[in-house]
Amino acid sequence: MAGGMERRLWDLLLILTAAPHSGDVVTSALRLSQAVLDKGGSVRVWACGYATMMTQDTFGDTKLPNTRDPEGHYPSPSAIVRRMIADGRGRFAWIACTACTEERGATHHIPQVRHRSPLRLATTVVGARQTLYLGGA
Amino acid sequence: MDARTAPPEGTASYFLIESKGNWAGPDAGAFLLDGVALAEAGHRVRVFLIEDGVFSAVGTGTPEVERLAAAGAEILVDDFSAAQRALDGTTLSPHVRLVGMDAAAAALTEEDCRGVWH
Repeated sequence: MAGGMERRLWDLLLILTAAPHSGDVVTSALRLSQAVLDKGGSVRVWACGYATMMTQDTFGDTKLPNTRDPEGHYPSPSAIVRRMIADGRGRFAWIACTACTEERGATHHIPQVRHRSPLRLATTVVGARQTLYLGGA
Repeated sequence: MDARTAPPEGTASYFLIESKGNWAGPDAGAFLLDGVALAEAGHRVRVFLIEDGVFSAVGTGTPEVERLAAAGAEILVDDFSAAQRALDGTTLSPHVRLVGMDAAAAALTEEDCRGVWH
């Protein structure tokens, strides 16, 4: 009987359901992700709800100018996610929930984002050693 | 990754992350008291206060923090969240320790560590 295919286990899965504007939660999620990456680990983020708005390609690379710091560079959330995926070299991934995406009309994700049906959430949880659920519904 | 450490047999290791302020309703205090119950049951408990959760570490007036310390839990405070709220070591409870996010990353990648975010 042929052996089964070995499944990759991610070190950390963050299920991010909190809205980006609701508080510091996105900053915390990104900081925690980067800390795990800095240790050599791997992280997946599953973005649900309004967190699916973060990776729209319509944001461009920067936020609107800060008039108190016009020379400052403030990357957009989609640019941050794109950079983390690139720098992670396979150790960082961002998944957008397709149901939440469709509900909000937020269908223009950057191409680095993987689209997944909520029916695959349980499978995604099984594929991680540790799962944290950040935010409310 | 670093070598993973397993908790002693018969016990578990919990890393409880509290992001809510202690005014956010009864759930915030209840979550910390869950940590007290786990510690009193003999499990290893580390509580990581982050975002508005760091306010629970101010001074000595938070009974949940006192009870966590008495039960043997380790109470960690996210240095970034504390700095963002103009808190420093002198304003915090003597039972807590300021740490960076690397401490959370290390704990959450330990073997059999059970992480919960509230």
